[in-house]
Amino acid sequence: MLLDGTLNSEVLNPQALNPEALHALSASTAIGADVERYWQTVDVDPVSRQVIGGGIAAIAHEMAEHLFRMAYSSIMRESRDIGAGLLDRFGRQICESDSTPMHCGSLPAYVRGIDRLHHGRYQEGDVYLHNHPYHGASHSPDYGVLVPIFVAGMHVGFAGCTGHMVDIGAANPGFSVDVPDYFAEGQVIDAVKICDRNGRIAGVWSLLMSNVRTPEANTGDLEAMIACCELGRERFVALAQKYGLDQVMSAADAAMDYSERLMRARIAALPDGVYDAPTAWLEDDGKHWGQPLRIATRVVVSGSDIYIDLTGSNEQVSTGFNCPFEGSVLPTANFAIRSLLLSETGDGRGVPQNDGVFRPVHVIAPLGSLFNPTPPRGCEARFTQINRIPDQIMQALATVMPEQVTAGNSANVCCFVYAGESSEADGDDYWVSVEVNEGAYGASYGSDGLDAIDNLMANTRNTPIEEVELTAPMRCECYELLADPPAPGRWRGGLGATRMWLFNAPLQASSTGDNRSIDPPRGLFGGCHGRAGAILHHRANGETETLPAKISNHRFAPGDRLELKLVSGAGYGDPKQRDPAAVWRDYCDGLISAQDAQRDYGVVFTADQQGVDWEATTQWRQQGSKP
Amino acid sequence: MCLQRRGYCLKRIGIDIGGTFTDLVFWDDASQRRVIHKRASTPDDPARAGIEGVLELCAKAGASLAEIDLILHGTTVATNILLERNGAKVGLITNAGFRDILHIGRKNRPCNFAHNQVVTRQHYPLVARQYRVGVAGRIEAPSGKEIEALDVAAVEQTVQAWRDRGEITAIAVCCLHAYLNPVHEQHIVAEINRLWPEVFVSASHDIVPLYREYERMSTTALNAYVGPGTSRYLQRFSKALSTEGYAAELCLMTSAGGVVGVDEASRRPVSLLLSGPVGALIAGVQAGIETKTDHVITLDVGGTSADIGVAPAGQVRMRALLDTQIGGYDAMVPMCDIDTIGAGGGSIAWIDEGGAFRVGPQSAGADPGPACYNRGGSQPTVTDALVVLGWYRADALRNSGLDIDPELAVAAIEQHIATPLGLTVYQAAAGIYQLAVHSMVESVRVNSVARGLDPREFALVAYGGAGAAFAVAVAQELSMPKVIVPPAAGVGAAGGLLATDMKYTRQATLWQPLSSADQPRIQAVADELAATAVAPLHKDGFGSEDIVISYSADCRYVGQGYELQVPVSANFGDPDWCQGVADAFHGAHQRAHHRAFPDSPVMLVNLGVTATGRIRAPASAPLSASGGCSDSQQQPARFRVAGQLDCVATQFVARGQLAPGTRMTGPVVIEQDDTTTVVPPGYSVVVHPLGHLQIELQERVAHVA
Repeated sequence: MLLDGTLNSEVLNPQALNPEALHALSASTAIGADVERYWQTVDVDPVSRQVIGGGIAAIAHEMAEHLFRMAYSSIMRESRDIGAGLLDRFGRQICESDSTPMHCGSLPAYVRGIDRLHHGRYQEGDVYLHNHPYHGASHSPDYGVLVPIFVAGMHVGFAGCTGHMVDIGAANPGFSVDVPDYFAEGQVIDAVKICDRNGRIAGVWSLLMSNVRTPEANTGDLEAMIACCELGRERFVALAQKYGLDQVMSAADAAMDYSERLMRARIAALPDGVYDAPTAWLEDDGKHWGQPLRIATRVVVSGSDIYIDLTGSNEQVSTGFNCPFEGSVLPTANFAIRSLLLSETGDGRGVPQNDGVFRPVHVIAPLGSLFNPTPPRGCEARFTQINRIPDQIMQALATVMPEQVTAGNSANVCCFVYAGESSEADGDDYWVSVEVNEGAYGASYGSDGLDAIDNLMANTRNTPIEEVELTAPMRCECYELLADPPAPGRWRGGLGATRMWLFNAPLQASSTGDNRSIDPPRGLFGGCHGRAGAILHHRANGETETLPAKISNHRFAPGDRLELKLVSGAGYGDPKQRDPAAVWRDYCDGLISAQDAQRDYGVVFTADQQGVDWEATTQWRQQGSKP
Repeated sequence: MCLQRRGYCLKRIGIDIGGTFTDLVFWDDASQRRVIHKRASTPDDPARAGIEGVLELCAKAGASLAEIDLILHGTTVATNILLERNGAKVGLITNAGFRDILHIGRKNRPCNFAHNQVVTRQHYPLVARQYRVGVAGRIEAPSGKEIEALDVAAVEQTVQAWRDRGEITAIAVCCLHAYLNPVHEQHIVAEINRLWPEVFVSASHDIVPLYREYERMSTTALNAYVGPGTSRYLQRFSKALSTEGYAAELCLMTSAGGVVGVDEASRRPVSLLLSGPVGALIAGVQAGIETKTDHVITLDVGGTSADIGVAPAGQVRMRALLDTQIGGYDAMVPMCDIDTIGAGGGSIAWIDEGGAFRVGPQSAGADPGPACYNRGGSQPTVTDALVVLGWYRADALRNSGLDIDPELAVAAIEQHIATPLGLTVYQAAAGIYQLAVHSMVESVRVNSVARGLDPREFALVAYGGAGAAFAVAVAQELSMPKVIVPPAAGVGAAGGLLATDMKYTRQATLWQPLSSADQPRIQAVADELAATAVAPLHKDGFGSEDIVISYSADCRYVGQGYELQVPVSANFGDPDWCQGVADAFHGAHQRAHHRAFPDSPVMLVNLGVTATGRIRAPASAPLSASGGCSDSQQQPARFRVAGQLDCVATQFVARGQLAPGTRMTGPVVIEQDDTTTVVPPGYSVVVHPLGHLQIELQERVAHVA
């Protein structure tokens, strides 16, 4: 079975791309790449190169560790919705932590955003804060903190980190999709210096914290972010003092070139060509219900470069459901290609994640579209759309990389924010809790999809139920795999989770996501499509209301329940080829019924339900699926 | 146990059973005599080598087993059950609606940039889904009140079915908020005991009464998974010892670096997952005391891996409770901060497709082993590099029955590394060595610097067959001032067992803001924990005067999610107690994170109590003052001198011939049966009166002298 319109071999050169190709942007940064280098490139012997490279990577790891251990809000400390890394003066990423990919990949864009206003004016001891979604921020709740690094009085680079703030003073607590513009999504902080050599700049902090609902948590989180960057700065300076700046920067350069070389080799190994994914659809923009949004995805492989062309995707929308191009779309395309071609679990293990990996990957998205909006459009709720990009790329490349891709993934992010007025006498006026719900993977060649796990660009953690119940007026009544069967395939799709919350106090909730109801995760090579999710509001009086995936400031009364049924991934390959022993195991584990086994997989169990009836199964499968 | 009766003058045996060798050490307080024995392990039944080894050792020491007061054992049995995945078939009873917590975990995946990856909790579940059962019943937080009664009938039905079907061999019980109120878990355990008394049961309130349901459930399931196998082994070993005449209780080293009796160990085998490697860390602390060194880091290098442990101020450092993963599973139990990395003598050097020069984590193991063993291995290993550099001589391993062929080492490095990289074979060998050193350095750094400890204040203590070949280079990279190679460094872990106190730790989640803490409640919890921690010590024969009770608090700022542990005073009723805890926490936060928030409210999350039964550590036996360095040979070996790899005349001496006070200047290679110590140029080595080799930078020694 082939996907529709996969390979169009007549166009193989950049002319196959849209006119916008001229503006094709790579996530590789170089603020003024023509600027002269501020170090002498020296030969670094192979051993020192590895030693310095290891030292640099350890710094990013340590920075992230520091940040989530010290952070206050559960979104940072439990979910670890953070990123940290070091960048050179041009904003080229030298290293990044292995936390949420969305965060780390976006750091270079934050540097561009800050550098456009402050280039050449950095002082030792400065701390910059930035969240402008039209100048590099991933979205406005993801604060970026940047600390310039000086070696022997010379500005040599930055230590940076990003983290999701629980509340940034938007129209509604946390976030909501149905907003008129990006100003309604929270306080915009455009490359503001918040500390200098004398410490905090008091007025700025006062302004920052008096405009958010959770100043205590935000203060703690921001302090943790600053401490994280200062640690990175100290570590880098120590490294430069030990080996010399020339050695360190030359080793960093070599590491970038190494990553680029590997990435290019992998791209070059793919047949040149234009690969189109089937058109994908999003349910709506969070306001205009029933009006689906289009995602067009074309992948062009040309030599050792790869172009992701999103031309043809929907116009930008009037709600907050657009995607910042630099801070979100670019890192996502890069993530998709790296995961596919230089997998960390395969031979890409140990290949440093740095600017080199970004260089051969280019993205095209016309200005004014869903993936490249223009101000003042809102663009806070972007994860669900961008998480479709890696999924689409895999659909496009399935025929040339059948053993590397996965079948359709949940490829969304179902994110909820719960908030209420705080009953505590002191502390913040509100309590706000962000919940990033898991997805599920599509199956791939040789393995079933991963169940109930963060998908693609997301890799956060849940907050322990026992923690939520200790701190918020909510009680979890169920957190399990879905009762529905997984998507059949030779390898079955990953199963989503289900969750039930009971609310003990009045509260308001907003969400963003996509239940995949009009375009479920696509099966590959005969595997079945994944399953849509659903969100239900069970009122205390017994009525049930089906909610859309995007609710804005929806009210729940005490005794009400919220039920989430999350999306399941698609199957891979013909289910009739599934190992009957695996079907039996799924049956024993309560994932499928005996009827499912026979109907979907052609597997018959013995009359006493004690195992596979191999003879009957062979017969059944040979005769075809019809009973 | 008869500790009191004999006035703490004991005959003790430490036994460390590893995959390849079983190491034993005998120590007699009265005669200050130490006897060492090493024999091959019997992996099919580790207890066999254990018993035989103990008997052989007793014969060597001229003591009968009946005279032995204490046998201390470090075991990898629980770890191997887990890593080999041949544990019990576990059934789990939890709340209705939550049976997949074990499968979902914290819902993160181990790797960011990969679409296909192994997620241990899903691919190798500790409990298959069909054996995870939810029953109705609910405790509320934070009150701890029951809001839904336990469905006892469902429990009964489940247990009966499991018992009758005969598939399950252990049961884990974990209910939400059991750390606040264990009544439902207790009820379930009572039902299991009533219906099926023989089955191994592990309940979360008993194993790890701390909040965070996934980590607690995983730990409890892990305990059940390794439980039957480990306790069977322990009981068999213990029984065999008493059959042979041993009258006291077999004691086990825990991951936390204390020793517990066989009953406790059998009940909580999840606390034994680092039982093996801890011994060397404890030994290192002891070596530090003997050489008057306050802060030590231990480096225990074996064939495939290196264990790195950190002990500031003579105290073994514990890992943060949420970082405690073993074999891909989460285990929220106290563990010494020991990091294991894939860098050992057998680690293979290779060049990846991007042209990068790498060492490990793949290992040639013992079979085929390094190329120079001439047992079929053709890949260059770290050991081959040591041979090419001239540090390991052809007969270095003769007593282990191995002849080294240096030609094979040269050929392997030449072909796989030197030629492709355009280096000489010596440069390539030095590179392999340096990369192995580098990964050890990174591990030490992450475990010291990353936690606010400065390695320049630490001495590095070398253990294991290969530790003494790397220690100086690792110390140099980190500017650590001193390296210590204890006598019998190759069997150091067994010696460490003898230097350990008996320790029982109990914890409880309190969840009390310090500004408004319920001090009487804290007092009550502390008293209860102390009573349960002390009881087994009394049973072991410790008098109250030799029991020390210490208290710790896991605290965080209100709103944070990770606790830092601080020691606290026992005066729980004091009006200043809370302020004292808060101050200690601010200080700990400052050290760990470089800032503190003295105005922010502090939450007391967990209280911990450790009861320690003190056992006098044996001293190292003083070396006889005779001898000198009579018999040394000069041979060329390669060292990096002023950045250049040079061939220099090197002294090779036998360790057994070194008298106390002997001082030598590198390059020196000191050979002994169980390890080889490499002292590069620029370093001096001094033999301590108790036999430790102390290696320091030469000018430093000169300065001190």
